[in-house]
Amino acid sequence: MKPAPFDYHAPTSTGEAVELLAEFGDRGRVLAGGQSLFQLMNFRVVKPENLIDINPVTELDYIRSDNGTLAIGARTRQSTLERSREAAEWATLMVEAVKNVAHPSVRNRGTVGGSVAYADPASELPAVVLAMDGELVLTSGQGQRTLAAADFFRGPYTNACSADELLTEVRLPPWPSGTGHAFLEFQRKHGSYALMGTAVLVHLDGDSIDRVAISLCGVDETPVRAHKAEELLTGNASSEEVFEEAAEAAAPELKPLPDPKGSPEYRRKLAKVYIRRALELAVRRAKGER
Amino acid sequence: MSHRRQISVVVNGSRHESEVEARKYLAEFLREDLGLVGTHIGCEHGVCGACTVLMDGVSVRSCLVLAVQANEAEILTVEGLDRDGQMHPLQEAFWEKQGLQCGYCTPGMLVRAYELLREDPDPTAEEVREGMSNNLCRCTGYQYIVEAVLDGAERMRNA
Amino acid sequence: MTETREERKWVGKSIQRVEDPKFLLGRGGYIDDFGLEGMLHAALVRSPHAHARIKNIDVEEARRLPGVIAVVTGTEAAELCDPMPDFGPDPASHEWRCLAVDKVRNVGEGVVAVVAESRDIAEDACDLVDVEYEPLAPVVDPEAAMEEDAELVHEMVGSNVAFERNLIFGDVDRDFAEADVVVEDRLRWRRSGGQPLETVGAVASYDPGTGMLTIRENSLSFTSYLFMLAGTLKVPSNKLDIHPHPAGGSFGSKLWAVKAAAIAGMLSKATGKPVKYIEDRVDNMTNCDHHGSDRVYYAELAATNDGTLKSLRVRVIDDYGAYMQFGVGHHGNALAQVVGPYRIGSVQYHVQAVLTNKCQQGAYRGFGSEVHNWLLERMVDLVAKELEMDPVEIRRKNFIQPDQFPYFIPDGNVYDSGDYEGVLDKALELADYDYWREEQKRLREEEGRHIGIGICTAQERSVFSATEFWFWFDEPAAPVTSTPESVTLQVDAAGNVTASLYSCAFWGNSPETMVAQLVAEEFDVHPHQVNVVYSGTSQGLPATGPGGSRTTVMLAGAVEGASQKIKEKALKIAAHLLEAAPEDLEWSDGGVAVKGSPAQRKELAEIAMSVHLFKHQLPTEIESGLAADQVYDHPYTTMPSEDRKDLGVFYPIMGHACHIPVVEVDIETGLVKFLKYAAVHDAGTLVNPRSLNGHIIGGTAQGIGTALLEEYVYDEEGQLANASYQDYLIPSAMEVPELVIGHQETPSPYTVHGIKGGGEGGRMMAPAAIASAIEDALKSLGVRVNELPATPERVLDWIEEAKGLE
Repeated sequence: MKPAPFDYHAPTSTGEAVELLAEFGDRGRVLAGGQSLFQLMNFRVVKPENLIDINPVTELDYIRSDNGTLAIGARTRQSTLERSREAAEWATLMVEAVKNVAHPSVRNRGTVGGSVAYADPASELPAVVLAMDGELVLTSGQGQRTLAAADFFRGPYTNACSADELLTEVRLPPWPSGTGHAFLEFQRKHGSYALMGTAVLVHLDGDSIDRVAISLCGVDETPVRAHKAEELLTGNASSEEVFEEAAEAAAPELKPLPDPKGSPEYRRKLAKVYIRRALELAVRRAKGER
Repeated sequence: MSHRRQISVVVNGSRHESEVEARKYLAEFLREDLGLVGTHIGCEHGVCGACTVLMDGVSVRSCLVLAVQANEAEILTVEGLDRDGQMHPLQEAFWEKQGLQCGYCTPGMLVRAYELLREDPDPTAEEVREGMSNNLCRCTGYQYIVEAVLDGAERMRNA
Repeated sequence: MTETREERKWVGKSIQRVEDPKFLLGRGGYIDDFGLEGMLHAALVRSPHAHARIKNIDVEEARRLPGVIAVVTGTEAAELCDPMPDFGPDPASHEWRCLAVDKVRNVGEGVVAVVAESRDIAEDACDLVDVEYEPLAPVVDPEAAMEEDAELVHEMVGSNVAFERNLIFGDVDRDFAEADVVVEDRLRWRRSGGQPLETVGAVASYDPGTGMLTIRENSLSFTSYLFMLAGTLKVPSNKLDIHPHPAGGSFGSKLWAVKAAAIAGMLSKATGKPVKYIEDRVDNMTNCDHHGSDRVYYAELAATNDGTLKSLRVRVIDDYGAYMQFGVGHHGNALAQVVGPYRIGSVQYHVQAVLTNKCQQGAYRGFGSEVHNWLLERMVDLVAKELEMDPVEIRRKNFIQPDQFPYFIPDGNVYDSGDYEGVLDKALELADYDYWREEQKRLREEEGRHIGIGICTAQERSVFSATEFWFWFDEPAAPVTSTPESVTLQVDAAGNVTASLYSCAFWGNSPETMVAQLVAEEFDVHPHQVNVVYSGTSQGLPATGPGGSRTTVMLAGAVEGASQKIKEKALKIAAHLLEAAPEDLEWSDGGVAVKGSPAQRKELAEIAMSVHLFKHQLPTEIESGLAADQVYDHPYTTMPSEDRKDLGVFYPIMGHACHIPVVEVDIETGLVKFLKYAAVHDAGTLVNPRSLNGHIIGGTAQGIGTALLEEYVYDEEGQLANASYQDYLIPSAMEVPELVIGHQETPSPYTVHGIKGGGEGGRMMAPAAIASAIEDALKSLGVRVNELPATPERVLDWIEEAKGLE
């Protein structure tokens, strides 16, 4: 399973990288961790003519807090995110989610930006970015623009970058203190792709839910927010019943893509169960319970 | 031609200079160009872990890293564990505990175990089992691999 | 050998394996580690269609790619080599070639072979080959394939039912008529496969100067049958030399996996250069010729009200895929232990072997008997449910008793020895059975959790006879009865022993360690002092290789025979050196001593030195050297009767095991997880207990894969939907629980040391045990587990169906 031949470029700065992107356009493809791209290339599903390897662009390897907004450079390794104290403090959900990505050896190469830009409908980090109303910074030779997550994920493996744009930063605005989070996903076996997953953030005002975000992966062409469920929950007291209702409300809208590991129908059923379980866990954490 | 590159890699402590095709993976480079056939190829899509090596101190799937990406990197393969045929305590432990049957996953397991124990020299059995789930084995059912890693950890702590 | 277990010095000891150092140091010597000067690399263009006619192949662009040496189409290959050697039911009308000619019969079937300077370039050239196909209706569902109007996979066979036979043993009709209770079910076992981490590969080198074709590969077995491969490759049978390399796992899938050798051999002859062909993972998953059993069962089990099992009726439809290289030998395997460990008096076994557009079946750990274990145990549980009997007690009640051995089962095979209650009781104890029954109740009442305890008590046959492949035919074309294994022992002038093995004996099993321990036992040396080597076939003695858990038993026989010959000669030499009569001497402690006067002795080293170097000091009739060959044939095979009412003895060395897993089912998702797993095996006398444990655990892990995770998923178009490890789910360390293992050793009366084979047992028990556990967990819902893999989705469907929610 050898890839088709390609020309290889190794820029060492963001500027150089976007210059190459501009030069090659559709004939170029960004290589980040390679853990997904090389699979596609080895199966000869894709045959990029030029690989623009951003691994040497170390200036995009950072995690820092910008007044509570967590800024993650696109080239940051998933394993770095996993261990990051900044991330644990400001975006725990990302840390919890990234532990579900494949296995340690894969996370040692895989990048945060790569996973987000790859936009695999079943993958974890895009769902979390969406849950947190994250923003994506896209850089090109012409400058930078920032897109809301909801505008960035366009379809299966499709993002809003134009051919000459590079995703350079993921920004995750903070939630108020006391927010409970939960990331749960269903894997047939440890480390395999999720059949579906859910990212939940919930903030309580007393016993009442005053803010909630529910994002799902593996249930549609992109990660999706369960807006109906969120509306149903907001302003209500947390309870088993209301979690059930919310999960019921979310399910019918889900349109999972085919997958030999589990049918769309099954994954809709899983979504109901996991939304409820994630809400329970997030609320327990918001209340300071275990 | 940008589809061939000059690379300089340190493998098991020795520096190697070579010209490689860009599409050659690190696993192939180690096996074919350097004759280090201990690193094995099982799936060519990064799931089985038979190709696991350490790159700049961390385990990677060498079937999903290009040789050109290893330029200026330090690589540890299974051949870097023993000292002139004198086995590393982990290798001794795998031998003692029968942590292998066909041996095909073994180099990857040894390298992964090496990384695991460097991160935590005294793991529990559950931590070892989860840590080693990074790599597949089709023969052993993992039990004696877990025992071997725990035994290796003890040997290394007592060394 | 008549020593007891206490008297044995090396047999029974869990010594460190002799094989291991090379693998630990990364010097395993696998086939891909091997290269030759000027060697070329091959890759295949594979069919994207499950079923299609090949209309046209354009290879011009591929041929012109720099670095490409040759491009060979199926039609050209058919000139270079004959059809593949095939033990199937009708090779004349069901031709199997290394590359498809005229039509393709499964996705992944090879159509064109490219030879180039590197595998990279070969694959680039494959992309440039243009094949024009005319798709045909794919034949996918085995029951639909049997319909009158179904598209035919092999036109010349005339039907997709390639073979059918209904065998009746004993008075089945009477036993059913007299029964109080008859349970019936339709059961479905879906195909999974060995998927070793190393694929099949070969390096072939044809020397036009000598006419010798040398092939190195990680498959072999059936050394005696190599003349067939030579025929395929159109070389004289004595001009084919095959060198076995250690295999990175097999589990059956490297048994006679000669297609890689045929491709490499053909291409080496065509190009005049050495050629390496190694399957990549996609080649292997789609085209390995070794998918596992894929069966639909219609079964009935008859019993009396007190729980006595009387008779079994089975109709089995087996989806063999596009070819049938081993005929219905898999069902011979089922027949070897068709009544399990029970005193069932009559059996009807109706097999229908069906062709479809999928990769053909081959061998997978159990070779079809593990499926029958699952079937029978599922039916026994159904009887237990019907009679409201405890599943443990119904088994105990029906066990063949220790004083009934050797026990002839209705179809004529014999079980050599056994003590099934002993194994059961040990397993119940190790599983903490009573504690878990309490826990099951408590957790259900207090927390609403669904815990299940499963049980499987079943047979693990070992050491197959060739008759199981041909007793299906009244007039078999080749009624083969030889399945030998050979060993050569050589004692050099310094007294060191070298053992040579033939066939590809190393797959991850421990043939070197087995032989070293056996030789050590004979010669009183340390096993690590014995050198074990593998011989190529041109120097080869007949050998059949691993398969049907035969290796240790057969090697033990061969080692004993060769050792006896050496000791006889050593005695004669020592008699001369000690100036004593041979009758007054005995083998003692690594040498030969005078009976009753052990101080008067000669060490083996002295004897060896003498016979190697000092010919004139010995009597004239003693030849120089100290070596012996032993060809060991199957210790107990008998012929089937003409009417096939008695199949003869074909698998007499019968082990047994009991698996008791404890599982929890998440009834909201259908996910199954393990809380405990106990396994007790009886494989006769143990040679290296820890090594056998390793196989029990590994086999159980594969059984867990088959039961819960693994399936080759073919869609309605015959596409293999999960041809990658992202979607074909091999258990990791997190899916396999820690096993608590026990042993019982009931020796075989027919083998050296009383050894029985045990390498397959884990996988032969686990699927039945796990199905039983899931069903037990969902008992209150009335769920019946009759399909596997029991994926979470299937389990959830069963739960919802039982609740009336479907």
